[in-house]
This record gives sequence, structure tokens and C-alpha cells, in this order.
Amino acid sequence: MTTRRLFSSFNRGTQYGQFARVFGYNLFIFATWIPAVIFFHDNIGEVTRISGPSMYPYLNTSYNENQKEDRCWVNKFRPTQNLQRGMLVSFRSPYHPEVLAIKRVIAVEGDRVITHAPYPLPIADVPAGHVWVEGDNRDANKTLDSNHYGPIPLNLIQGRVTHVLWPWTSFGAVRWWEFKGRTRVLKGRKESALRF
Amino acid sequence: MPPFRFPVFLKPPLQFLKKHYYSHPFLLFTTTLKTLLLFHVITRYQYSIDGTWGASMLPTFSVFGDHVLIDRGYRRGRGVEVGDVVTFDSVVEPGEKVIKRVLGLEGDYVMRNTPGSGSQEMIQIPKGHCWVVGDNLGFSRDSRHFGPMPMALIKGKVIAKVFPWKEREWLTSGLNPVV
Repeated sequence: MTTRRLFSSFNRGTQYGQFARVFGYNLFIFATWIPAVIFFHDNIGEVTRISGPSMYPYLNTSYNENQKEDRCWVNKFRPTQNLQRGMLVSFRSPYHPEVLAIKRVIAVEGDRVITHAPYPLPIADVPAGHVWVEGDNRDANKTLDSNHYGPIPLNLIQGRVTHVLWPWTSFGAVRWWEFKGRTRVLKGRKESALRF
Repeated sequence: MPPFRFPVFLKPPLQFLKKHYYSHPFLLFTTTLKTLLLFHVITRYQYSIDGTWGASMLPTFSVFGDHVLIDRGYRRGRGVEVGDVVTFDSVVEPGEKVIKRVLGLEGDYVMRNTPGSGSQEMIQIPKGHCWVVGDNLGFSRDSRHFGPMPMALIKGKVIAKVFPWKEREWLTSGLNPVV
């Protein structure tokens, strides 16, 4: 009985009641679209911001000048299918599970990498189902990558950075095929990769 | 046998459906899509029931035909403790999902090999990683082979075995406090 008195404004035809009814209905319809947006962000793609200097100077080119962060489009549809050396990938960091990292794929399974400090061994073999990722920054202290935590499993990768959207000067597709890195990679065959 | 009568309580919902969706195919399509996506979000972020196969977790799970209830609030290792059975994306096979038990979290010392098989070497698990082992030691490919596993790969915790219905039970970690 109390609820009838509380919500009777919806039925009496008053201005507030009508407004609340229409507003509530539209809010409900808006809420039913939220799972579609979540699905889109998880499986198709989303816009992310780059924070940190590990990919300088390719991304966050203005890191030394101002606080503006680059924005880029991450493609989430089958990111590990046909992964090539030089592509930019987004994955959960092995050391900090709640942090998303963006790095470049340097070597795929079966390759041998000449590593930098602080990796304990001078040469690393990339096992089956893993990739070796590194940041572009020349200064090794500014990037936390495979030289710290070793090759990462392919299932950690949840997206591939395909386009840079902001700033306008670097707008366009990520031209991963033009990348020439300083890390030496001895290319191998996928079939000769170490299987656990 | 009494004659079959149409259940009366079903009339209002069916009339509602007919009034709104019968000659509006676009509305029916979007509503179906939204319902499916809602189930997808619930399955991925809340709870889901999945089938299992494989002999690496005997006797907890059988080789075929078991279905388990997975709590996705434990994804990426939030709140995971030693002794929990977790599900994660495979370290070695891209696209496959694996169920194993967590034996060590970051900072713990674990034995690298199977007990009784040779060296007694122990290693410390690095930051952000965990050590997973199957219950059936002889037939399980786990951290004894591929090393510590990043916690970011964990997708959920198995909290109960649901089917077959006669064998339903809540899964416990099996750890008992030392008296």
C-alpha cells in the first residue's frame, strides 16, 4: 500500500511523474546497450592511451616536452593470428597483472635473441607459443620488457596496436614492416621451437 | 490423465511478447542480440559452467563428462590462495584453457621437480607469477615443465563441480591448519 502511494505520481499524470516515467524508461534502454559496448571493447577493439616512455620515440614522441599522451586504436579481434616481428602488441604485464603494457614483438617462436642486461644469459631461445617483446626506447632503464621477464606466452596478448589516432602529426597506420631494431635476432623455424 | 490445459500464468508474458515483437523484426533482432550479449558478459565476468576433459586432475575431476562452476571474480589472480583450483589460458597452446591447482604464489619457495624423482632443487617464484600443479602428478603438464606462470593468465577459480549431478560438491582447497 505504501508503494502505491509512493509511485502513484507515475500514474496520476503529473508533470514530475510523467518525466520520471519517461526518463526511467530511457535510462533502462540505455543500460541494455552496456553489454554490447563491453563486448565490443573486449572482442573487436578500443582506443587506449599510451602512458610511459618505453616506446619513445615511436609513440609518445612528446614525452620530453609535455604531459600529453598518445591515443591509439587497439585491434582485439584475433590479435595473435599471423603475428609478425615488428608488430606492436598490448598485453597484461607478467610482473603486474593489473597493468596493460604495449611493446613491440622482436622475435617469435623458434628464434634466438641476443639479449641485453638484466637478462642473465647472453642468448635466449624463444619456446613454442611465446614471443619476445621489447620497448623501442634506447635507454634500457626506461622499459620493462622481455629482458626482465623473458619471453611471454601468446595467450597474454589481448590486442594489437594498428593505428595511431592522436596527435595529428603521427596519425595513421602503424607501419610495423618498416621497423629496424637494434636487437639482433637469429631467425629460426617455428617447427624447431622448444616445446614444454 | 487430466486434459491438457494451457498454463494460465503464461498468458500475460506471451501476450506481451506478441504485442511488442510479432511484426517488428528489427526490434526482435536487437533484443535477441542484447540478451545474448548480456549472457556473454555474465559468463565472462561473473560465473560460468564449463566442461572439462583430461586426466591431469584425477581424482578431483574425471577424464570426461564433468562440468564445473567457475567464479570469474578471481581472474588475473585477485584473491587466489594456495590450494585453489584455477582455470587459466594455456602457456604452451595458444587458445586452449587449462585447469590446475595453485601450489605457490609470488615469493614462495617451491620444489622444481616431482618428489622422489631426483634433485631436491627449490626455486623462488618471481613477482606476479604463480606455481600450478595438476592433482595427477604422473600425467600432468604443469609448472614442473614450463616454470612459474604469470598470474595475468588466470581466468577464474573453480568453486564447485556441478555435473554429473550425483557427484556435485563444493571444491575445497584441502589445506588443514596444523593443530
